[in-house]
Amino acid sequence: MKTYLAKAAAGAKSVALDDMILTTALPTTAGSKMLDGYCSLFDATVVEKLQSAGYSVAGKLNVGEFGFDVIGESSYYGAVRNADGSYASAAALALDEGGIDAVVTVDINGAPRRSAAQSGKVFIKPTYGTVSRYGTVAVACSGETVGVMADCADSAKTVLGAIAGYDCKDGTMHAQSKIDAALRDAKPRKIAVLTGFDTDAEGQQKIEAFKAACEGAGITVEQADGTLLKSASTAWNILMCAELCNNVSRFDGIKYGYRSKDYTTIDELYTNSRTEAFGDELKAAILYGSDVLSTKNYMPVYDKALRVRRVMVEALNKLFEQYDAVVLPACSKMKYADIDVAPYAVYTENLYTAPASISGLPAVVCAGVQAVGKAFSDGMLLELAKTAEEGK
Amino acid sequence: MEKTTLISLEKLNQLRLTDEQRDSVLAFFDAQSGRLAELNAIDTESVERMVHVMPIMTVVRDDVEKKLFTRDELQKGAPETLDGYWQVPRLVD
Repeated sequence: MKTYLAKAAAGAKSVALDDMILTTALPTTAGSKMLDGYCSLFDATVVEKLQSAGYSVAGKLNVGEFGFDVIGESSYYGAVRNADGSYASAAALALDEGGIDAVVTVDINGAPRRSAAQSGKVFIKPTYGTVSRYGTVAVACSGETVGVMADCADSAKTVLGAIAGYDCKDGTMHAQSKIDAALRDAKPRKIAVLTGFDTDAEGQQKIEAFKAACEGAGITVEQADGTLLKSASTAWNILMCAELCNNVSRFDGIKYGYRSKDYTTIDELYTNSRTEAFGDELKAAILYGSDVLSTKNYMPVYDKALRVRRVMVEALNKLFEQYDAVVLPACSKMKYADIDVAPYAVYTENLYTAPASISGLPAVVCAGVQAVGKAFSDGMLLELAKTAEEGK
Repeated sequence: MEKTTLISLEKLNQLRLTDEQRDSVLAFFDAQSGRLAELNAIDTESVERMVHVMPIMTVVRDDVEKKLFTRDELQKGAPETLDGYWQVPRLVD
């Protein structure tokens, strides 16, 4: 069990990075045998921004292979567990170890949100396009976002302020003025708890406590129907796997990464390198992504998922006409045992995180609960997180 | 999905599964196909596809040549090189 895959000297202001973020000083593996020992020639933009803001990188943290799993269980370097044997993320354990202000981590399929909910940390998944993805290992580019996990909302906000900002190297970024607006403080006034997202008893208690904290702070809390948003999971699975399939096609054992020793022809080199280096869950995702993009399935499956994405975004925006944020669990239960991270479990466990993943909307996890806001409401969501912290 | 179709997908993606892995992947495919009914129940007849979640700006940079990395640097992580080239098996006899 490895929390840190590589460590460096921590400074007065330090952060750890998940191993999806490229660094020149430390290797980047994406939790995969394919990139074991790989050293990048350049730093990700978020690393440069952190260093400019006076942060040192204390180390690189274990992640599930290419970061799209439940909580890190598919890492080539082994899963990370809590003392009681339940599964944990390296990010949460690194924060518990201390010595760092925060963890900067890529949210592809909700793993950091599930981890923050279960460990009592704060995680902010910012509005898509407010933090540069240049220099992160690409998996599901249309929805993945670089976010911040910390012990409290204030720390998350400080580090988010350091990494957010326009970067001409990322073609999906917003103008600086919009990014500044996203980070501005705003008080939430009215929120809704979404129905239709069941969780275990402990998770339900956390929702009740969150509601009580908000009501205690003068925020109106209502209920709203979230049934339609449950379809975001199926649509996101299709889009995520399609994008993943294309993004990992670059790993072929030629220019960098793992190369099989067992080959005579070029096709054997490609096939044996990828077969030996990729884990089972990744192979299944590649094959599914390839299938949904096939001539037969492109229109009825992939194109349908793109249209459903718009339906999800419109449904969320309609809710935001009435509410500042919608609240839902981040996971089905507050502890994961082996069965919860079994192969393919992530495709149903992302029920709770897919609405924000597919829409690029900001989400914050605090006190075990997830709140999703409209685009550029990141500052407001962090205020909401503070309210929940204070009400604990 | 038929096993033969899965084997074609493996070839396309330069992967090779064992028979046991194929059974597992086929069950996964079936589960995902079963979920499509949920999407098909949503009327998207007049809905435009959404590829990008936010408006995308075209990034324009000055047309200035920049030398980022040398060949030696680029080949640092290469599994096998020979005389400054990436080494691969013979492609043409």
